[in-house]
Amino acid sequence: MQAEIAEQLKPFFEPKAVAIIGATDKKGKVGNVIFENFRVNKERGIFKGAIYPVNPKLDEIDGYKVYHSVGELPEGVDLAVISIPAKFVPATMEDIAAKGIKAVIIITGGFGELGEEGKRMERQIYETAKKNGIRVIGPNCVGVYSPDTGVDTVFLPDEKMDRPRSGPIAFVSQSGAFAAAMLDWAANEELGIGKMVSYGNKIDVDDADLMDYFTGDDSINVVTLYIEGVKDGRRFMEAARRITRVKPVIALKAGRSSYGAKAASSHTGSLAGADVIYDAAFKQTGVIRAEDFEHMFDLAKAFAQLKGKLPKGDRIGIITDGGGAGVMASDAVAKFGLRMAEPSEETIRFLRERFPPHAVVGNPTDVVGDTDAERYRLALEAFTKDPNIDAILVIVLFQVPLLREEEVIEIIGDYARRSEKPIVAVAMGGAKTERYAKMLEERGVPVYPTPERGVRALEGLVRYSSYLRR
Amino acid sequence: MKEEALKVIEGVLKEGRKNMVEYEAKQVLKAYGLPVPYEKLATTVDEAIAYAGEIGYPVAMKLMSPQILHKSDARVVVLNVKDPEELKKKWEEIHENARRYRPDAQILGVLIAPMLKPGREIIIGVTEDPQFGHAIMFGLGGIFVEVLKDVTFRIIPITERDARRMIKEIKGYPILAGARGEAPADIDAIVDLLLKVSKLVDDLRDYIKEMDLNPVFVYEKGAVIVDARIILK
Repeated sequence: MQAEIAEQLKPFFEPKAVAIIGATDKKGKVGNVIFENFRVNKERGIFKGAIYPVNPKLDEIDGYKVYHSVGELPEGVDLAVISIPAKFVPATMEDIAAKGIKAVIIITGGFGELGEEGKRMERQIYETAKKNGIRVIGPNCVGVYSPDTGVDTVFLPDEKMDRPRSGPIAFVSQSGAFAAAMLDWAANEELGIGKMVSYGNKIDVDDADLMDYFTGDDSINVVTLYIEGVKDGRRFMEAARRITRVKPVIALKAGRSSYGAKAASSHTGSLAGADVIYDAAFKQTGVIRAEDFEHMFDLAKAFAQLKGKLPKGDRIGIITDGGGAGVMASDAVAKFGLRMAEPSEETIRFLRERFPPHAVVGNPTDVVGDTDAERYRLALEAFTKDPNIDAILVIVLFQVPLLREEEVIEIIGDYARRSEKPIVAVAMGGAKTERYAKMLEERGVPVYPTPERGVRALEGLVRYSSYLRR
Repeated sequence: MKEEALKVIEGVLKEGRKNMVEYEAKQVLKAYGLPVPYEKLATTVDEAIAYAGEIGYPVAMKLMSPQILHKSDARVVVLNVKDPEELKKKWEEIHENARRYRPDAQILGVLIAPMLKPGREIIIGVTEDPQFGHAIMFGLGGIFVEVLKDVTFRIIPITERDARRMIKEIKGYPILAGARGEAPADIDAIVDLLLKVSKLVDDLRDYIKEMDLNPVFVYEKGAVIVDARIILK
C-alpha cells in the first residue's frame, strides 16, 4: 500500500514531462511564474524532464512551442500543472484523463473555499480523478517545491521570495501562504528543504499519502507537517505509524482551542475537543507535536543535523562558560520533563584534576569566563564517555576573551561527529555569534540562540527516541 | 462477550432509546469482564427487600429511568439504607421524587446495590471524534475532572503501553501512586479497566457513541465501577 502510493506520487516530484496548463508570457501571472520556474531550472540542468506549455491563445513562449489543448500534447506527459480559471478545470480534467496523465496539481483557487458551486466542481474533479486513477494535489494550493529535481510550482517569483537550499527536511502544509512564508524563512535560516508540498483544499492527496511517499524517500530524513485538519484520522494514524518507525515526523496543528462542550451528552464528550484528540493520535503514532512555528523548525533542524543520532535516555549533561546560561538550561531541563544527568565519579575526577579550582565541575560543568578551547575539549571528552549522560548541551558564549572561536568550533564539531550521543549547542549573542553558529552548523551541530530552545530541541529527540524504544 | 453485550444493547434500541440506564450499561460492562458490583434490579418493593437481604444491609437504592439521567438532581438515589423498614419508606420517596422530577418518567425498577468502601476515585470515558473515531479518556474523579480537567485521551484501540502512559501522564498521578504516605492504588487494575473498555468499544463501535464510568473506585487491590452511562448511536 505504502509502496503503491509512493509510486503514484512519484510524478509530482520526478516528472518525465510536465504540461503547464495556463502557461502565459504575461510577466507576474501565475501561469508565467510557474512556466519560468521550470524553464530556468531546465536551463540550469536541474529539471530533467520535458516542458509543454498549454494555452489556446499562444503559439510560443520563450522559444517553447505552446500546445493549444491538452488533446494536442505529445504522449508521455506524466504531470499536469493547472493554473486556469476554476470554471474551466472540470472539463480540462476530462481531457487530462483522456490523455492518460496520472498526476495533476491544481493551483487555481475559487473552489470549495468559496461555496456550494465550488464544492460541486471539486466533487466533479475528484470523480474524474477517481475514475481514471489520477492523483490530484490541490486545488487552491501552491503545489510542489523540489529543489533537487527542479519541480517548482510556487507561483511567487524569485525576487519576492527566496528559495531555500536543498536538504533533508520535507515540509507539508495545507496553507499556501504559510508554505511560502516558511520557504522564504528557511532560505534565510539556511535550513535545507528537500521537498515542500502545499495541498490547499486537498480533494485527494493529503498528509497520509505524503507520509507514505516520504517513508521511502531516502533524500528526506525528517518530515514536518502543518495541519489545519485531517480528513480521515484512522488513515492518518496508519501512515504516521509506518513512517515514524523509520524517520521522525513533526506536526504543528493549528487551532489549539477546543470545540468541546458542543452537543456532547456525556461528561467525557464535553471534555474532548479536537485538540486533545489530535494530541492522543500524535502520541500513539510517535508524531512529535510542535507548539509553534519556531519549535517545529528547531526540532526539524535537530533531527536533520543529527542524522538519526538519538539519545538513549533523558539524562542531559550541560557544559557552559557562563553560570547564568547554565542555570537557564537547568531550568529548561526540568520544565521540559528531562533529567539532569549525574556525572560519574570518573568524570568528576578527570575534570577536577585538569581544571583550575574556580571552574565548576559537575552538571552543569562551568568552564567559566576565562576559559580557553581546551577546557571545552576536556569537558566534552569526559561527558561523551560518561555512561550517566545521554545527550549533551554545550553553551558557548563566544564573547569571553581567551576563547579562540575557530578552535572551539573545531573541537565541538569533532566530538559531535565522533560521539554516539547527540550534541546540541547554544550560542547567545549578536551578529558575530551568528557567524560562529553557522560555522558550527556546517559541522553538523544544531545551534540555538537560547538555552531554552536548545533544551526543547533535545526534548524532541528524547521523546522520539523513547517512542522507538518502547 | 460481544453477543451478551449486544443482547442488552439491542433490547434498549428496540425500545427506541439511545440512553442506557446504569443497570443496562453495567450489564454491557459485565459482559466484557469489567468489575461491577453485585447488584439487582427490583421492580416491586418485596423484590427489593429480598435482594437487600441477599446483598446485605446497608444497601444503596437507585431508581432507574431512561428519562432521568442525572439521578442525584432528581433525588432518586438513597445511600446507607439500614433495614427493610427504611427501604420501604425510601422506595415510596424515590418514586415520588421521580414523578415530581419527570411526570412522564418510565420507571424500569430500583437498583439494589451494596454500599461500597470508598476508594480513590477515577473516571474513564469514551467519546467519538468525527475524524479519528472513538477515543478513551482517563482522569481522577471529583474536582480533578470537574475543575482542573486533568484528563488524558487516546484513540481506541489502545495498547497496554498506552494505558500505562495515560495513567502516569495526568498531573494527579501522585495521588494514585501514593503521594501522602498512602499505599499505592492498584495501577494494574486501572490498566486492565482501560484495556477492557478499549476492547469493548472496539468491538461495539457501530453501536456505542459515548460512555462515562464515573466514578470508579480504585483500591489497593482491585477496582469497582460505581456508576456508568452508555449513550448509543
